[in-house]
Formats: sequence, structure tokens, C-alpha cells
Amino acid sequence: MPGGGRCPDCGSTELVEDSHYAQSQLVCSECGCVVSEGVLTTTFSDEGNLRAVTYSQSTGENEQVSRSKQRGLRRVRDLCRVLQLPPTFEDTAVAYYQQAYQHSGIRAARLQKKEVLVGCCVLITCRQHNWPLTMGTICTLLYADLDVFSGTYMQIVKLLGLDVPSLCLAELVKTYCSSFKLFQASPSVLAKYVEDKEKMLSRTLQLVELANETWLVTGRHPLPVITAAAFLAWQSLQPSDRLTCSLARFCKLANVDLPCPAASRLQELLAVLLRMAEQLAWLQVLKLDKRSVVKHIGDLLQHRHMLVRKAFRDGKVEMETQGKEGQGQGQGEEEAGNCSLDLPEKKRPASPALLLPPCMLKPPKRIHPTPPVSLVTGDEDISDSEIEQYLRTPQEIRDFQRAQAARQAATSVPNPP
Amino acid sequence: MEEEETYLELYLGQCAVQDDLALPRSTLFSPGVPYDVYIPNPSNPETAFNSHLEEVKETSGDFSSVDLSFLPDELTQENKDQTVIRSKHEIENCKTQSQDSRLPLSSEEDVRLGVNSSSLSHSQSHLYPGDADSVQPSPEKPNSNLLPLGSIAPMTPMTPVSECSKIVPQLQNIVSTVNLACKLDLKKIALHAKNAEYNPKRFAAVIMRIREPRTTALIFSSGKMVCTGAKSEEQSRLAARKYARVVQKLGFPARFLDFKIQNMVGSCDVRFSIRLEGLVLTHQQFSSYEPELFPGLIYRMVKPRIVLLIFVSGKVVLTGAKERSEIYEAFENIYPILKGFKKA
Repeated sequence: MPGGGRCPDCGSTELVEDSHYAQSQLVCSECGCVVSEGVLTTTFSDEGNLRAVTYSQSTGENEQVSRSKQRGLRRVRDLCRVLQLPPTFEDTAVAYYQQAYQHSGIRAARLQKKEVLVGCCVLITCRQHNWPLTMGTICTLLYADLDVFSGTYMQIVKLLGLDVPSLCLAELVKTYCSSFKLFQASPSVLAKYVEDKEKMLSRTLQLVELANETWLVTGRHPLPVITAAAFLAWQSLQPSDRLTCSLARFCKLANVDLPCPAASRLQELLAVLLRMAEQLAWLQVLKLDKRSVVKHIGDLLQHRHMLVRKAFRDGKVEMETQGKEGQGQGQGEEEAGNCSLDLPEKKRPASPALLLPPCMLKPPKRIHPTPPVSLVTGDEDISDSEIEQYLRTPQEIRDFQRAQAARQAATSVPNPP
Repeated sequence: MEEEETYLELYLGQCAVQDDLALPRSTLFSPGVPYDVYIPNPSNPETAFNSHLEEVKETSGDFSSVDLSFLPDELTQENKDQTVIRSKHEIENCKTQSQDSRLPLSSEEDVRLGVNSSSLSHSQSHLYPGDADSVQPSPEKPNSNLLPLGSIAPMTPMTPVSECSKIVPQLQNIVSTVNLACKLDLKKIALHAKNAEYNPKRFAAVIMRIREPRTTALIFSSGKMVCTGAKSEEQSRLAARKYARVVQKLGFPARFLDFKIQNMVGSCDVRFSIRLEGLVLTHQQFSSYEPELFPGLIYRMVKPRIVLLIFVSGKVVLTGAKERSEIYEAFENIYPILKGFKKA
């Protein structure tokens, strides 16, 4: 960070200011060599970082702040440093933590919740600066449960009245794909699997945009979609060598966890691509399937906007033709649309599919009958016989008590004196 | 000061006269028609509406000088309905009477009456579904969702009243509480009743179920009881009475006090897909959409105070209502917003 310094051991310029107990040091982040030690901290900052300071030199700054709050603020700073966030983020996150601590509900919360609160403050800061940090990452770093994290996060957003923007998908693609270990050859990554970072990034972005447009992203966790898109992008850049590699193997190669839903996202994305391929004249004759369509992803992406428009129609029109009750305005549009679609080809393109989220395309699991309108007034007479059906007869009570006693005896027996 | 008060009394006196004349016409105030309506200058509805908005801001400071003593502070359920109906008549007739309806009174009353609207609609809840259809759409009148409870909350966009959907949310669950007003021996209840389960180590209440109406009750040793699972308010009341009878038959002097519906859950389907990302962008103050945590969007409506779970498939779950009309009203409010997101 400070300009001009070089590590004497490895020569890198990546020097980090770190504090070892009470003494500040300039350390090389590559090899760990201590470049210099010195008074680069002040008593004030030492106290802020919970460093020991002699009483006569202390500023009294932290006397008003409780230990647990100091610990929490320290944790916020540490988390920001571990995530290598820009320095301004740290101050914002600390400010949020302090703001949260003003509420009595947070002050009295358990330590587990306070720990999770640290993550929440950092997450909110990152979201507001469009820094793509996922909740999964923070939970892994904090060893926290996602349920606990989500509860605290929703509570704190409501409590502080904050406006937290959504996760920025494009940035997440860039960060996530950059973490793949596929850009350099190594003993585990064969030469034919190595890929150029820029090409893969741009193609993955295009595939993710396509997924977003065709309803595969709304309501779903973003990461598995990106994994599936990255896999398809990587395969399509050199299909001859890579078609044999499965999604699981790809993730192992790239040294990345395979999220469970990624497989089904992959199938959905391939289905979309197949539909688009049916609209291209030179691909119709090839009778593509899920494996062979990968070879043509480049072409499909090049013309994706037009292909999506042609391959899919709004649900409105299709509902009419299928006889469902729907909005009736689409009728005229459908006629016009079909006429313009009639390209001078021997084979007509496949009839447009519905552009709907997958959950709406699957048949309903069970039919929901509308319940009959009940004429209950709430003040009807309640017959005795109806109530008595819920009561035990004296004989049944005795049997039940005997059975309970027997069970108690049985469970307490395996306890040899 | 005095001048203003006498002017007010004179004005209200006029209205009272009109009140008597016009009474047969407006016996029941339809909750479907927005409360904050006043007849703007017919020649120029738009500007009149805009100036009403400005006026609301201007006159918000003047309420100290206005005498609102005819509106009681603490309204009980019975008094509420009557007082509100009465004052509504006055206002309605004042508005129909005068072209110059720029009473500083009206804007605060609207806010107050907005508070009381749910109680009013409770007394006329059985009329509500019918009323929604019979409301004459009047394009120059702003929609009721334009004036939320708190003046701090930003206003939702104006939508024409004529876009009422034909969809009626179905009630799925009603939670109610009742006080049996006697101490109960839970062990005895669990022993003598077939349909009861009691695990003191897990939970400090007896869980009892009946078949008709299909509900579950939590019965506590203090005598309080929670009844869940009914599909309508009447069914919930009947079920609670049945549980109380069971407890009575077991030998306890159970009564049936303070029956209250605590929560109502409804659901429906708008039958088109919704772009949740778009909805969270335009309605940030009300929505929360975290796909990493939950696939639906959580929309916290201010008026009425209902939480809606909106899913990409178009299914909507409405919860947090104390009355049926709140669910219907919330759905009528959200439907135009969702229609705006029908196409990508």
C-alpha cells in the first residue's frame, strides 16, 4: 500500500501495514518478510484496534465503549481486511455496526448474533458499493448458519431502515469466474483445458444475460446459474476436447465448489439454447441435442436477441390457443406475428414456446379445487355426541395409564445398579 | 381564533342540514370509494388534484387552530363505526355541496379516517366484494392507496380505479385466541382426551385437534387458547367453541371470553409471471427481494398493513390481516402494480 517499497526477499511491491501486538510493521504479503517496524500507529488507533497501551499514554477513548462493542468493531475491521475490501468500506461498515449497537435489542443479543451482525454490516456496505459479496461467502468465513444470518440481516435492514440494492450479477460473474483456476496450465489442469480469461468471462456474461432474459434467474440463487453458464462457456470455446468433461469434473478442475442446483440450471439453459437453435436455418437440419448444441453456442449468442424474440412468445397468446381463460387482446397480434414469421423456408420453424419461468411450465403437482362456500355461522349448536367422540372412556383411561407406566418401567430398566 | 371557530360551526351547521336532506342516499359508505376524495373543480381535475397535494403540505402545520373535538380521541369499536359514519356523511355532503372545499380540516380527517377505515370496513365486510364491482370509476378521483397512514411514507403511483381484478383471494388460515378463564390441568386433559398431545419437555401446552372444522388448538395451563387452521372467521369461532366444550366436558369451568382473530392468511394467483427484480427497483421502500435467501419478494404494504409474498409464477400470499377486507383491499392495491410488470 505505501508507495515505493519493495520487499528485500522476493522483490514484490505488495507491502501491507500490519500490527504485531502493540508494534506496527510493514510486511510483504507475498513472502511474509517483515520489511520494517516502526511507529506507524498512534495511541488512538491502537486503542481503536484493541491494542494494549500504557495507562499514562492512553487517551480514554474506549472507556465509554463496552468491551463487546469494541470486540465487534474489531471483528468488522478484520473481516474487511480478510476480504481485501477498499479502505472506505471499513469505515462505513464500522459506522453501521455502531448504529446497530444503539438499539437495545442488539445490545442484549447473544454473542452468536453479534458475530453474525458483523457479517451483516460488511454485506450491506458491499451491496451499497456494488461489490459482489454473497451471503454464502460470509457465512463460511464466520462459521455461521445461513438461517441465523438471514434472520439477523432482515432484522437489521428493517431496524436501521436501510435501502440495500440487489446483488450486482455482472460483477458477481466477473469475481466468481476469476476465481476459477483454469487460466494457467498446471499438473491438474491439462493444456487442452486451459482457457483465456477474457474470452471465457465475456461468453459467461452473455450466457448469464440470456438466462436472465428467459426467466432462469428470477427467484433463484444466482451462483448456480453462473456456474452452469461458465461451464457452457468453457465447453463451447473448445468443444472437441471438452465435451467429454462433466460439470462435476469441471468444478474440480477449476477448484470451485459445485452448488447443487447447478445441474438443473444447466439443463434449463441447454433447453433454452435448443429452442433458439430451432430458429436458425442451418441448425435445424442438424437435429441438435443437448450435447451437440454446445458446439454452436457461439453463433447462438451472437444472434441471441433476435433468436429469443423469435423462439419465444409471451404466455398471453399461447394461453388463448390452449383454451385457457386469458386476456383476449393477443388475438390480432398473433395473426400478424405468425404472418411475419412465415419465412421463405421449406421447413417452418418450431412453433413458439412459452417464455415463462420453469415453475410455470411444469404441470401443477396437484389440482387445487376451490373449497365450497361454507355456510358456517360460528354460533351453531354443538352436539354432545360430537364432543364425546374426542373423550376417552374410563376403561380406555385405565389402559392408557397402564401402558404409560409399562413404558416408563421399560425405559428405566436398562440401568443396572 | 374565535372567528375561525364560529366560522367552522356555521359551516358544519350547514352541512348538518344537508346531512338530513341527503341521508337516504348515502346510508352506507362504500369502503371501495377512496376517503380522501373531494370534488375538484370539474373544469380542471388535474390541477385541482395537484393543488390538493400542495395544500396538504401547507396546512399540515395549521391543525392547532382547528377544533376537532367532535372526533373522540379514544374510539371504542362500537363508537368508532357510528362516529365515523356520521362524520363521513358530514364530509361527504360538505364536499358535494361546496365547490370551495379547501377546508384545512379535510386533510387531517382523511388521515384520521384512513386509520378508522379498517374498522368501518369490518362492519361492512360482507358488502365489500360486491361493492368493489359496483364502484363507479371516476377518473378524476385519486385512488385510496394514495394517502398512506404515515405522512412520511412516499406515495404510491396513482392508478385508475377502474382496473379492478376479477380475482378474489382465498383465505387459507385463520389464527384466533380465546380466554377460557380458568386454570387447567394439562396432564388431566392429555389423559382424558383422545385428540390431545402433551410433551411438557418440548412445549408447555396441550396440542388438541378436531376433525370438523379441521383445526388445531394450543391450550395453555393459564386457560388461554390459540386456534389455528380454519378457513374462515366463522369456522374459527365454531372450532374454538368446540375446544372450549371439550375442556368443559373434562370438568373444568371453561368460559368463552375475548374471542379475537389475530391473523388471516390468504392466497391467489394473478396468472402471469412477474419480474421481481423490476418490482424491487421501483418499489424499494416497500419491497425486500433476496434470492439468496427466499425465492419470493416480500412486499410490506402500508395501507392496509399487510405483508405480501409475491412469487415469479404470479402466486401471491397475503398475511397479517385482522379482517377479511384488509386482504381484499391489499390485493386490489397490488394488482395494478403487478400488471405493470407483466411483460419483461
